[in-house]
Amino acid sequence: MARPAPDVMTRPATATSGPAVTDTPTRGSAAGRRQSPADQRRRLLIPFVGPALILYTVLFVIPILAAVVISLHRWAGSGPMTWAGLDNYTTLVEDELFLQSLGNTLKLLFVVGGAIFVLSFALTLVLRDMAGRKIVRSVLFFPHLVNALVYGVLAGFVFNPDGLANAILRPLGVSTPQWLAQDNLFVLIMITMTWMTTGYYTTILMAGVDRIPPYFYEDAALAGANAWQRLRHVILPLTWDVFGVCAVLWTITSVKIFEIVWIFGGSSGNGIPPTKTWTAAVYTYATAFSGDSVPAFGAATASAILSLVLVTALVVLLRRVMRRDVIEF
Amino acid sequence: MSTPMPLPRPTVSARRRKASAMRTSTGPLRWAATTLTWLFVLTSVAALVWMVLQAFRDTRAILDRPWGLPDQLSFDNFVQAWTVSDFATATWNSLWVTVVSSVLTVAVAAPAAYHLSRHDSRVTRNLTLFFVLGLGVPVQVILIPLFIMLNSVYLVDSLVGLNLIYIGLSMPFTVFLLTGFFRSLPTELEEAASLDGATPAGTFWRIMLPVAKGGILTAFVLQVIGHWNETLLALTFLQSTDNYTLPVALISFVQQQTYSGADWGGLFAGLCIIVLPMLAVYVWLGRRLTEGLTLGMGK
Repeated sequence: MARPAPDVMTRPATATSGPAVTDTPTRGSAAGRRQSPADQRRRLLIPFVGPALILYTVLFVIPILAAVVISLHRWAGSGPMTWAGLDNYTTLVEDELFLQSLGNTLKLLFVVGGAIFVLSFALTLVLRDMAGRKIVRSVLFFPHLVNALVYGVLAGFVFNPDGLANAILRPLGVSTPQWLAQDNLFVLIMITMTWMTTGYYTTILMAGVDRIPPYFYEDAALAGANAWQRLRHVILPLTWDVFGVCAVLWTITSVKIFEIVWIFGGSSGNGIPPTKTWTAAVYTYATAFSGDSVPAFGAATASAILSLVLVTALVVLLRRVMRRDVIEF
Repeated sequence: MSTPMPLPRPTVSARRRKASAMRTSTGPLRWAATTLTWLFVLTSVAALVWMVLQAFRDTRAILDRPWGLPDQLSFDNFVQAWTVSDFATATWNSLWVTVVSSVLTVAVAAPAAYHLSRHDSRVTRNLTLFFVLGLGVPVQVILIPLFIMLNSVYLVDSLVGLNLIYIGLSMPFTVFLLTGFFRSLPTELEEAASLDGATPAGTFWRIMLPVAKGGILTAFVLQVIGHWNETLLALTFLQSTDNYTLPVALISFVQQQTYSGADWGGLFAGLCIIVLPMLAVYVWLGRRLTEGLTLGMGK
């Protein structure tokens, strides 16, 4: 399509540019004053893509490379960096606190992830032909737009000893549990995460299920398929790629989880959440910026790099596991 | 085919209508699921309404009767949060950072995405991939290097610095979203513009931008939501109260309460200041947002 354009393009231009140019302009003669559109467009690469590329490279890519370098050093943020090789990494792997934080991140990734997918898939099936599905969907989606801090603060109100949960339970004569005890906190965080995230993934899955043309269902009904068979042979195969996208998305999201943990159930005295609830992201932040101890930038960055490695490995793995022949429809 | 079927089946398929073919199942299971879903929806809405209502009551009343309604329409909590707790400064900071960084993000990303989507060559394909790879990088990886970089140019504890960070970090997602969007637009318009003698830059500016308004608005609003709620970076980079954005102000407000006793009224007012603008945006552009966030991901 690009080929015929230059000829037509240059003709009026050369006609006005003076008598020196002959009737049949070649690309060479036009190039002196005016480039062909293809060339012009190619030249636009720099003004169009350049600014985005520079900002992205300077503020994103270079910091990633710098992170790799910093993670190989021992450094308190100022003063000299001393080469540490892989020491930061070996220390991390033996650090109970880091392993616990990473374990929490993995719990969020797999347990909460599993719960989200089961729930949102169930919701998708329920909503598929329910009256008022649009309203339900809009309500379910909204929590995704709210800062996770809000849920953390609200949880503090609901679960504190004089809070809402106990106010409900006490008249019923149920013994009121220590909701915000350190052992319970992370479970509550996981439940809250599931609640606030399910709607988002439901919306994505619904978009996938809605793309399935109705004649597939009609065909399945004609073949006498029951609900389970329809699910197994129509819906699942045709939404498989959407599941893959959701899984990748959740993997990326879950490794970054920070806000909700940071403030969940109110704050403890020194502003840092109890270590039992730490995630990998909290570990990185607290190790670098906690203010109490000497900041260990090397170790903190190493922990972040390990998160990056984890995400990359999981995404590659997911793509391999989820790979199926794409069904065009 | 119809012989091995159980009895009720033929009668159902005899009344074969589109609706019955689409139906997953009927009966108690489905009824229960539908009821549960509605219950869930109602609880969610009630929670939001409850939160807003509590913001109009004082702390003692909230603690005494958490289910109570406000006696009168008292804006005390908001006034208190706005003036004493400095949520006013934080709101302006948030607003400023959000709007500036979102506008600039889209202004920088849209031409890039347009070019990458319309000119297929090895260079553009690799560049697109280069941008998209950034989507998988967790923020905490670049937290410390960015801190050091900005510290060396005195942009730590500065809203300008935070703006820069937000713009840089938003590039992968915005370029990814808009590349997909520009690909979905027909090429005929540009060919016609080119026939009419428009330069490629002019085509983008005068022809494509107006056509792409919807997609660009979606990208913009998604950035607004992301930047309004962003917490980790703001918490790291903003150190003086004057520069706090809303999430950081909220965290510091909660932390003060460990010493001064819980001021739930003020806290609820603070939560409303964070949540309600998002609700307004959602009511205004809801469908566009869900489509942008879901279809953009589906590709």
